[in-house]
Amino acid sequence: MAYILLRHRDIENLHKLDVYREHGGYEALQKAIDEYTPAEVIDIVKASQLRGRGGAGFPTGLKWSFIPKGPGEKYITINSDESEMGTFKDRELLEYNPHQVIEGALIAAYAVGAPQIYNYMRGEFMDIGYHFEEAILECYAAGLLGENILGSDFSCDMSAYYGAGAYICGEETALLNSLMGELGQPWAKPPFPAIEGLYFKPTVVNNTETLANVPPIITNGAEWYTSMGTEKSKGPKIVCLSGHINKPGNYEIVMGMTFRELLFSGEYGGGIPNGKEFKGLLPSGGSGPVITADALDAPISYEGLDVYGSVMGSASVVVMDETVDMVWAAMKMEHFFKHESCGKCTPCREGTYWMDQLLHRIYEGEGTLQDLDVLKSVANRIGGRTLCALGDFAINPVLGTVRHFSNEYEAKIKK
Amino acid sequence: MFGEILRGLGTTFKHMLQPPVTIQYPEIKRPVRPRFKGRHVLERYDNGLERCIGCALCAAACPADAIFVEASENTDEERYSPGERYASTYEINMLRCIFCGYCEDACPTQAIVLKHNYEMSFYDRTSAIYTKEKLLVDLAEGAEPAPRQVEPGTYDRAIPEMEDPV
Amino acid sequence: MNDDLVKLTIDGIEVDVPKGTLVVDAAKKIHVDIPVFCYHPKLEPVGMCRMCLVEIGLPMRDRGTGELLLDDDGSPKLNFGRGLQTGCTVRVSEGMVVRTTTEPVKEVREDVISFLLSSHPLDCPICDKGGECPLQNLTMEYGPGVSQMDYSLKMHNEKQVPLGDLIYLDRERCIQCARCIRFQEEIVDDPVIQFHNRGRALEIVTMSEPGFDSYWSGNTTDICPVGALTSSDFRFGARPWELTPVPSLSPHSPAGANIVMSTRREAKSGGRSVIKRIVPRQNEWVNEIWISDRDRFVHHFADAPDRLQKPLIRKNGELTEVSWDEALDLVAEKLQAHSTAVAGLSGDRLSNEDLYAFQHLFRRGLGSNNLDLANRRLAGGDVTAQVGLASGSNLQDLGAGDAILVVASDLHEEEPIWWLRVKQASERGATLVVLNLRPTRLDKYADYVFRYAPGEAIVTVRQLVNAAKVETDTAVDQLTAAADTLIKANNLVAFYGYEGLTYTETDTLAKLLANLLLLKNEDKAHAGQINSGLIPVWPHNNSQGAWDMGIHPALAAGYQPVEASGMDAATIYEAVHNGGLKALYVMGADPVGDGRMPNRGQLDFLVVQELFLTETAKLADVVLPAQSWAEREGTFTSGERRVQRYYQAISPLGECRPDWQIAAQIGERLDMGKPAFAASLLFRDLAKVVPQYKGMDYRSLAKVAEQWPLVGGDDVYYGGTSYKNEAGLGQQWAAAAETDEVGLFEVADGDTAVTTNLPLVRIAALYTPGTLINHTPMLADRLAAPTLHLYADDAQIIGLQDGGETVIQVNGRSLSVQVCVNGHAPAGLALLSGVPWFPGMAEFEIL
Repeated sequence: MAYILLRHRDIENLHKLDVYREHGGYEALQKAIDEYTPAEVIDIVKASQLRGRGGAGFPTGLKWSFIPKGPGEKYITINSDESEMGTFKDRELLEYNPHQVIEGALIAAYAVGAPQIYNYMRGEFMDIGYHFEEAILECYAAGLLGENILGSDFSCDMSAYYGAGAYICGEETALLNSLMGELGQPWAKPPFPAIEGLYFKPTVVNNTETLANVPPIITNGAEWYTSMGTEKSKGPKIVCLSGHINKPGNYEIVMGMTFRELLFSGEYGGGIPNGKEFKGLLPSGGSGPVITADALDAPISYEGLDVYGSVMGSASVVVMDETVDMVWAAMKMEHFFKHESCGKCTPCREGTYWMDQLLHRIYEGEGTLQDLDVLKSVANRIGGRTLCALGDFAINPVLGTVRHFSNEYEAKIKK
Repeated sequence: MFGEILRGLGTTFKHMLQPPVTIQYPEIKRPVRPRFKGRHVLERYDNGLERCIGCALCAAACPADAIFVEASENTDEERYSPGERYASTYEINMLRCIFCGYCEDACPTQAIVLKHNYEMSFYDRTSAIYTKEKLLVDLAEGAEPAPRQVEPGTYDRAIPEMEDPV
Repeated sequence: MNDDLVKLTIDGIEVDVPKGTLVVDAAKKIHVDIPVFCYHPKLEPVGMCRMCLVEIGLPMRDRGTGELLLDDDGSPKLNFGRGLQTGCTVRVSEGMVVRTTTEPVKEVREDVISFLLSSHPLDCPICDKGGECPLQNLTMEYGPGVSQMDYSLKMHNEKQVPLGDLIYLDRERCIQCARCIRFQEEIVDDPVIQFHNRGRALEIVTMSEPGFDSYWSGNTTDICPVGALTSSDFRFGARPWELTPVPSLSPHSPAGANIVMSTRREAKSGGRSVIKRIVPRQNEWVNEIWISDRDRFVHHFADAPDRLQKPLIRKNGELTEVSWDEALDLVAEKLQAHSTAVAGLSGDRLSNEDLYAFQHLFRRGLGSNNLDLANRRLAGGDVTAQVGLASGSNLQDLGAGDAILVVASDLHEEEPIWWLRVKQASERGATLVVLNLRPTRLDKYADYVFRYAPGEAIVTVRQLVNAAKVETDTAVDQLTAAADTLIKANNLVAFYGYEGLTYTETDTLAKLLANLLLLKNEDKAHAGQINSGLIPVWPHNNSQGAWDMGIHPALAAGYQPVEASGMDAATIYEAVHNGGLKALYVMGADPVGDGRMPNRGQLDFLVVQELFLTETAKLADVVLPAQSWAEREGTFTSGERRVQRYYQAISPLGECRPDWQIAAQIGERLDMGKPAFAASLLFRDLAKVVPQYKGMDYRSLAKVAEQWPLVGGDDVYYGGTSYKNEAGLGQQWAAAAETDEVGLFEVADGDTAVTTNLPLVRIAALYTPGTLINHTPMLADRLAAPTLHLYADDAQIIGLQDGGETVIQVNGRSLSVQVCVNGHAPAGLALLSGVPWFPGMAEFEIL
């Protein structure tokens, strides 16, 4: 099957504007501007059932439709702060297929009437950002950005921005705060960004991959798009495969493929190295609970892991073989969340610190049975009470591993 | 009847041979019970620093309003107690004190302790006020007196390390 | 039903609150406590501590019809959402149901507290906040009772971090609620502290040099819900429960800031009760719940060791301690002997009672009208009596559609509270017009800023007033546009000061502004209307009272003209010099130290009544020790003409007596009858004489009303420091324009612009050295050193460089000054700060 998102794997030098245009680039934008009104573009995206690829899976068309109609300051913000453990999909798009992202963002800007697009990239994307910034310059030179794009009335500017390396800035309100030069901390919603976002103006925040999905939808229509995938999860998805796997890397799949196929098919993961047994995998980096062998036949989709108590999230699949100490893994992940908590709200700031302390103690063999109880209770007390979703993610390493591997914890408890 | 007299005298003679129950106070002092609540002392740590941190909780707990505390800040050049604060004035008015021991209960550092000394008498009211100098226990063998100069950073807690409550 | 009200149910109690109210505030109205840490009713909500999580249900509606969905029992179906919501960020809506006592809510409170305590040190025994600490209170009220946290896992952090020389931070105690940061940012716009780092390492840092450089820093210690921020003034000073709160007034604030003095007896001071700290007292009409650091920290003069304690008489050239009777007898005898050539000079820091008794002594006892303020700067008290801010006004009510005019004053340096309230009014939408000869901090919030050349203040204001007289539809210039806005505003408040102006010029200025207020727009003048009127930016806390009480050569108490005017201050100084006066009585002022009077001239007798042995007192024949404001009762009148009461906080020092009593005891020796028994009785007497004060007495001044927001009451979370006002809100006396027709003032022509090479103007600084502030060692580093501010080109011409030091000759005095070339001074004007005031413009010479 031909790539829809990772098209640069089929076409050499796709990051160059002329190559991209040779292969149908910016035709979707042209089509949107020529043939559709902004409202029709939103309807098409709604009909395509495209959902946010950053992890939350919010319907993209619906998000766009929340933006107040009419003139005024509005913003499109591309969320390229990909900081989830084991996620490396957006960087490939930004580096090798940047124009598809720009085109998607321009279509979004056209749909909501935003004259300005920001791409918020994580600070570590310095090198990748160059490629993307070059693509922006190419677009300006070719009249694809700036005044009267493609000869139409539609004008839009775009600039790249680098964060300072904070996981929390992947959260949309924290991202916007950071973009405004404030401390990267989320704000309590409401107000939602669609009403009061960047500089207190309506703002759409979309994941990089989400926007890369938009041009093919406009080109090929919503029906083409909905023909792929499962009932609730349509279209292609880039899966970041890493860990104990023979062929790690990004794979573009159509949603609905099982984890077993992804891991063991020769076309994708190619199995576990050194003949080791599969033990568990993290379907969504650190922020989704671990799943075990019994869930391998679940489809990779937004809803596929519901029954197994986990989520697909951004589909950053980290595979762990039998050698992995799950307490160690939980400790490492919790340390990450402790380090990345912004500190704004109490449960997350204090809770992640507390869990990190307890996990270290248990891992080092100093923990007691009471510590294990406290660990679980602390995790349960964070969930659902924090300002943003980070708190809910931060408890998954503990809750997931405790659920499936409590024996490993108990083995470490001080006798 | 004679028998009764003999019996009575027998008791008398028996007691004549027993040692007396009265003692020659103050030459001889009767030991008190371990939980006897006598005059207060202000304890020190083994290293000679004062336990009292000047929190005035004893004064707050005192039902007779007998205690007066005034605190000041410790510095590394002039350190009285391990924490940030010490009692620069500590006075107990023994005429007011009812020896209930609430101050001892309230003390977070076990600094004030009601000991076994019950010998308090005064010629005037002023001398009934026991100042910090009178209340502080003597330095243990080899301990340095407070205040003293210490290396900066030796005592960086606000109050001495607290133990887990039991 | 009022459309602006919303009906909701909280814990089964129905309540109507205005639209836009937050759930926590709505609950507060019916005395349902929703505990909070990060929320404060004066700050924008952020919802970060998660303590206020409650169950909030909204009535469900049919998507198609919009009809309310009903349960089987006919009550509306409620949607409680997926989880708890923060009561501090959710605004009320019709039919909302809030539950604050359910199990999940109780649980979350316990959990938030155990989270906070998991890294909060148990310093309570020595913590300055212990006893009035919201965290402590809420832990007792809502905490789980036991901790699952192992002490050995507790986070440790730096304990003593001086954010500046006034405020200390204990990083371990901080619960990252950001109240302090938000206060500095939102309320006073001094964003000098910020969060640094993230997660559990999130900490407060200062970003200014010197650290925490703000006139408002002390307020952060009040609103800090833990003991993380403490002031170096109160650090380890006392435990809160040992303190006696005494309501009082700031002795520095012309706006009349309400304060509470916390006192306790202290062994260090020989068993005397002393002021341990000063905290604000809520008065939404005056200072809300904020006070500037000057009002908070400048109180140490009351306990200063060099206070005068006994009367002194000069014997054989030396001031010698004597008894009161001896001193008073001598003063009475000498004043009477010289009664034809006697004069009285007073300060304007003293209470109304003092000032009344002083003028009474002179007018009744000595038959002299030679009375004035020793350092009078600002005229127009009589004008203010006519068109001053109307009674019942509250600057807080000014907003969109209203206008504020500020002329010749740097409010931020002169009276920060007025600066704050003007700034807030401007943020609420009021039009702010600023006229000055140099940039000030108010410019940032102003809609119109006019910069006049030195000497042209009156000309410019006259142009503005004249422009306002002409009806225009199309404004030709900014000045006309501003004048048009002012005259058409719903309410108009005009502040005027004395920067670069002489006393006479301020008089003209006051009258011009009065005429602006009296101008009719559609048959209605602003003067006399609530929330409109004139406010003089008085130099001291009771300058208004001095006018009211008749410390004036031509106006007796209550602005009654005298038959024959006496000498004013300038004439008195002249007469001291040339022998026209034989005896001078100076009360609470230091004309020698302030450079108004070079020496005692040809005086035969000089009596000084003071707290300290000032430069003037050193020259005196008799020095009478007065009580500071903290040692007695009295009243001050603010620039908004609010008469307010303060109470005795500490026991009198030595043999000091209240100023009014001293004056009355001298009067007793002049056959004026027995002195009043108490300040309250004297006030009752003066209220009979001063028509404006009619009907006021100490009881009516002590009346309180419920104020919103409710802070400092029985709740346990808005900051332990006692804000609640239980001692009186004061009474504003009515300006004449409120009841009578007031005619336009006649303003004389003859505005002459001073032309000199490089004129020098003295500008205000909050911490200008002076008799009182010099006794606050903690502010020593912040005292405004004499500084000459120059424009870069001017500096170059004179040959001075930024940061340099030089000696200048000004008004006949030589001064060592620092040179500052940083853009504060406009071209063609030199500014001098950190020195005693001098009138108008001066020339200076470099020595």
